[in-house]
Amino acid sequence: MKTRLLRIVFSVAVIAAFARPAAGQAFPRAADGKPDLSGIWQAVNTANWNVLSHNAEKDVPAGLGVVEGDEIPYQPSAAARQKENFANRATADPESKCYLPGVPRIMYMPYPFQIFQTPNHIAITFEYVHAVRRIFMNTPHPDGEVEWFMGDSRGHWEGDTLVVDVKDFTGMTWFDRSGNYHSESLHVVERYTPMGANNINYEATIEDPKVFTRPWKMSMPLYRRVDKGMRILENECYAFGLEHTWLRPPQ
Amino acid sequence: MKQWHCASIVFALVVVVSIPHAASAQNSQSSAARAGAYTPARTADGQPKIEGVWNPVGTFYNIQDLEFQARFQNFRDDPSRRGKSLIIDPPDGKIPYQPWALAKSNEVLQHHENPTPQYLDPNARCFMQGVPRHLNNREFEIFQPPGYVVIFNMAHHTYRSIPLNGGPHIPDRIKLWMGASRGRWDGNQLVVDVTNNNDQPWFDVVGSFHSDAMRVTERFVLINADTIEYTSVITDPKVYTRPWTMKLTFNRNKDYGSELYEEACFESNGPSLDLMLTRPGK
Repeated sequence: MKTRLLRIVFSVAVIAAFARPAAGQAFPRAADGKPDLSGIWQAVNTANWNVLSHNAEKDVPAGLGVVEGDEIPYQPSAAARQKENFANRATADPESKCYLPGVPRIMYMPYPFQIFQTPNHIAITFEYVHAVRRIFMNTPHPDGEVEWFMGDSRGHWEGDTLVVDVKDFTGMTWFDRSGNYHSESLHVVERYTPMGANNINYEATIEDPKVFTRPWKMSMPLYRRVDKGMRILENECYAFGLEHTWLRPPQ
Repeated sequence: MKQWHCASIVFALVVVVSIPHAASAQNSQSSAARAGAYTPARTADGQPKIEGVWNPVGTFYNIQDLEFQARFQNFRDDPSRRGKSLIIDPPDGKIPYQPWALAKSNEVLQHHENPTPQYLDPNARCFMQGVPRHLNNREFEIFQPPGYVVIFNMAHHTYRSIPLNGGPHIPDRIKLWMGASRGRWDGNQLVVDVTNNNDQPWFDVVGSFHSDAMRVTERFVLINADTIEYTSVITDPKVYTRPWTMKLTFNRNKDYGSELYEEACFESNGPSLDLMLTRPGK
């Protein structure tokens, strides 16, 4: 019985290493038996425009929202700041400046990202502004005052769910193009749970005592990009519009 | 002048980081002999293990003249240990530019002390460093998840993923700052073919350049527990008269442990970067 189980585990590991699972198959597993999140993924929703439900506008697709209860519990002063952000969003949105978008926003921007997984370290590389997340497993956050655009990520497994604790953010990123924001006290707990061979349920619990009255939650599926020859390309946002200043060899 | 000042700060920071590693430069024996003498450990999926944080040895400022930097900064490399140029072929250590390209490169050199944006090192403007420059700048980390070699740079949070499974090339029309890499293990040597490069990254601070027809063939080999020897053969028929080869040495960096920090170059440079960028309408 034990031998048979081992054989099954081994077979699954081999499939995980060499093939993309077809629809209907189980979620692949890594050599250590954990779900293997390796691969190229992308959210397919409109949360980057507005994490709450919203109607379509020119160049804005309508969406049902990704926030539990469809409400963000802002403190009164923060609600006013969000309205101000919304009014000034064309220039105030950090995305309009091509900044690193922070977490969780980077996870649902309309660009693919690739997860690389080992037992002690998971890395995520993003097409958008070549952002990188490094998730170190079963280790503490660093000491001292750290403020990073992408925060500091520490992971552990709870059964088949990857749980990532992210803190040490800057106050310079937003959740979307609609002015929903946080401070540098943001604390995000992400849960990545496999659901079928080519989907991950992504859930983020958001906590920020300077901005919200209570923690709140968003969730969405991530889809495996099964496109033929799929790979991460580049979107160097901040280089666009500067081509006239480039040194170009004669064509 | 203000622009140059900003760039100097960036370079000075880089030099401070590089000096301790220049001091521990390896002397050059036959790489083949040393490669054969060392057997690296293996990763879980059987790759020769070259993981860790690494630093290139010495200066990146002018790859054809390693003493050049001393004209601008209090920098002392030790060229006696590895020759005056990083270029090992052709033997004169010079990039074999076609005549028009040499003139273009000299033009950049002439504007080096007081550059307008197009004469300013793209790296100082926080653009991606490209291949092979991203390995000849500052600390970088090699990570080897199953089926891949992934390289992370701390500066600009640049990354490059090198799939080891072959697979088709991407269409030629796609041009990338970091190129498209395809790797394979040839014994204990990692061989990487890099195509789809765009024409923007330079090889150094002083305008050595290539076109979007550049192709790079790289070889990484661990020659002892703490040293990687690296060569890249650069081919670009639009710019050079022949292929040329650059050789670098990477020393294991033990200062960072296993974790690099976030360096948000573009985001953090703020007003000084605006000066360097000169966006239209400003």
